[in-house]
Amino acid sequence: MIPADLRVGSEWRSRPREMTRERMRWYVDAQPTVAADNGRIQTQEPTIHDDDDYAKSQGLPGIIADGMISTNWIMGLLLDAFGNDFVARGRLRTKYVAPIYEDQVVVSCARVTGIEAADDGATAYRLDVWCEDDAAKKLTIGEAVAYVKVSA
Amino acid sequence: MAIGRYTSDLERGDVLGPVDYTLSPFAVREYCHAVELHQDCFQGTHDQIMPPTLIHLDKLRLYRHACPLGTGPHARVHVEYDATVHDAVRVDDRLRVAGRVSDRYEKRGRDYVHIDMELTRVADGKLLISYRDTVIVSYKGSVA
Repeated sequence: MIPADLRVGSEWRSRPREMTRERMRWYVDAQPTVAADNGRIQTQEPTIHDDDDYAKSQGLPGIIADGMISTNWIMGLLLDAFGNDFVARGRLRTKYVAPIYEDQVVVSCARVTGIEAADDGATAYRLDVWCEDDAAKKLTIGEAVAYVKVSA
Repeated sequence: MAIGRYTSDLERGDVLGPVDYTLSPFAVREYCHAVELHQDCFQGTHDQIMPPTLIHLDKLRLYRHACPLGTGPHARVHVEYDATVHDAVRVDDRLRVAGRVSDRYEKRGRDYVHIDMELTRVADGKLLISYRDTVIVSYKGSVA
């Protein structure tokens, strides 16, 4: 997928990924690891993302994924389409409309809703973005704007 | 002012930070491994940049600074991420993050908090990322 191929209505999606316990824990551990920033992996107190008993004590049926995992998977999908331009200028908004449970299948998706000239010679691509499960139920929804400059 | 204790105490108008820090290659690579962002721009040993989503952990940085006692008695649930990137954030840059609680309201028995944050480069004050974070600060399970 390259931006030149995109038209309003173009849609693409990631390969399916299971939201495994490990993927949830990786994100849980990343938080104190980034905070400590001492070259070692850190862990934290039980969370609703990695501890069944704690999740149940908070009224949940079991652990659920941190929403930022699906946000990052959507961002990866956009980066693969728009390249580094997307991390230098753009917008991404995501809203978590359904919990993602352990081993649930997640597919990240994007659809172009508008293409327009931006003020600096770049092209702005407006997109609907979402994550869905293997029954096409939406789990995360949102929108994005990616700016791409075409070299002369 | 409701800072100084739990994140569940935060009220509209509370100011979080600013907090300065230097973005390290290790922090970026660890974060990207965790969320499976394997693009070269995050993994390299030079010209490495920050995934914009890492701004979300800057919110936790502000929480630790302003709410040292932690989350409070109930879980905090993230509802919405909304980030606008104005320029790339480069590894090894000295950064400043600041936030303000722009709203707190109750909806269907749950307390929602919006925090508006800005990440700037210390050297020249350039705004790099604007971020609005929405959370339920004291999640108590399903609400009838």
